Amino acid sequence: MTNPSATPPIAGTVASLFEPITDAGSACAIRLSAFEGPLDLLLHLIRQNELEITDLPISQVANQYLEYLDVLRELNLDLAAEYLVMAATLAWIKSRMLLPPDAEAEEEGGDPRAELVARLLEYQRYREVADTLGARPLLGREVFAAAGAAIALPPEGEREIEVGLLQLVEALRNVLRQTQANDSIHEVVGEPITVRERMVLVIDALERSEVVELEDVLRGLDGSPPTRPIIVATFLAILELAKIATLRIFQSLGDAGAPEGPIRLRRAIDPSAVPVPAESF
Amino acid sequence: MEPQDRRRVLEALLLSSPEPVTPARLGRIVPESSAREAREDIEALNEGYAAESRGFRIEEISGGFQFRTLPELADFVQQLEPVPPLRMSRAGLETLAIIAYKQPVTRAEIEHVRGVDAGPLLRGLLERRLVRIAGHREVPGRPILYATTPRFLEVFGLAGLSDLPTLREIEELLRDRMPESDDAPEMIAAPGGDDGNEGDASAVAQDADAPPQTH
Repeated sequence: MTNPSATPPIAGTVASLFEPITDAGSACAIRLSAFEGPLDLLLHLIRQNELEITDLPISQVANQYLEYLDVLRELNLDLAAEYLVMAATLAWIKSRMLLPPDAEAEEEGGDPRAELVARLLEYQRYREVADTLGARPLLGREVFAAAGAAIALPPEGEREIEVGLLQLVEALRNVLRQTQANDSIHEVVGEPITVRERMVLVIDALERSEVVELEDVLRGLDGSPPTRPIIVATFLAILELAKIATLRIFQSLGDAGAPEGPIRLRRAIDPSAVPVPAESF
Repeated sequence: MEPQDRRRVLEALLLSSPEPVTPARLGRIVPESSAREAREDIEALNEGYAAESRGFRIEEISGGFQFRTLPELADFVQQLEPVPPLRMSRAGLETLAIIAYKQPVTRAEIEHVRGVDAGPLLRGLLERRLVRIAGHREVPGRPILYATTPRFLEVFGLAGLSDLPTLREIEELLRDRMPESDDAPEMIAAPGGDDGNEGDASAVAQDADAPPQTH
């Protein structure tokens, strides 16, 4: 929210910008950094003036809200669009309150403030939950767990080796062969499949359980029987994730010293290595 | 097995486990014991620790039990290994609270409650593995669904989602803060009802492809 073109006196934190504005005793003597959006600001104004949320004096609140936005504008700060949307909403409600109740308003359910009040009440509840969550002793801050984690043994004493490409391709062929038998009828489906999307699903599967079998993953992550393009895309997604060290691919070493049994995927130990796929935002 | 011996075994199990151990599992490993007995034994152990003012206790976390240091000793333990202090912004906590109660929830639904963009916050919560992607909602656009992880329960020291304050408790807290408001607004969804098994969110998830997370 800081303005790059600001002159030297305005450098520094946004909060410090607001501290001097205590003149005129207006409701705008507030610290910007303390607000997390228009609803938060509205709740602040309501509490400060000890107003009743359920019977909101909309005109008073709207005026104070707009005063606040004016101060922001004077300071040349970029206003998040959400603040402006709320200003428009308040103005609309205010105008509706001034009009005598008419048939149209009756149809809409009466009080034009109702929706805003419901949102404020709901937001207020989650803010309260957030406060109680924040007040809990947090792991790694106030409390610490017994760290048996330091010795991470492979499950069931299996000796494991990392898998070679040939074994991987073999597993892919297995799954592909089975699918071919299933869908002998050629069907054209215009469904776009992206490796990126499959990566998200693979990460998700590894979030749920630390170890999964490769062939299970290839056979379908979202329940529906996969088509060849889906299987191939999933396979590529697994290779991509292995490349960026998000997962490791394992196979057990049998008694004879040769790899045997199912190929497994395991989440990489370092959680910071888990990428956050861009498309999920 | 004598209670004294059962409790010795429990201590050894909990001390060596990297993550919380469910009472069912403890009951299976400890001879002539059950989940219920394990729970009772742990209660007795904790009473003993408190009586001897030890520096730790056994906490119920994410559907299991785990040894944890006492909060009042944080200053000392922190010096053992300097780790960057865990910081949760209020915006992050609010987003987490919404996800915890409404999961599985879309980004648009989160943004509707808070009235601001949730993108950067969600990203941070995903990176810290407090939140996970729990599939897609089968509506046009197939929006991504978010849910909390077992790690969320571990970090916040919750036995399960049902350990979160109930709606009634939240309303009481709000009433205490603002005595002039005595209305009872409509309810938000109570947290997931699975108090037992792994305390996991996906039990309330509507997508069928999300089996409970295992530890």
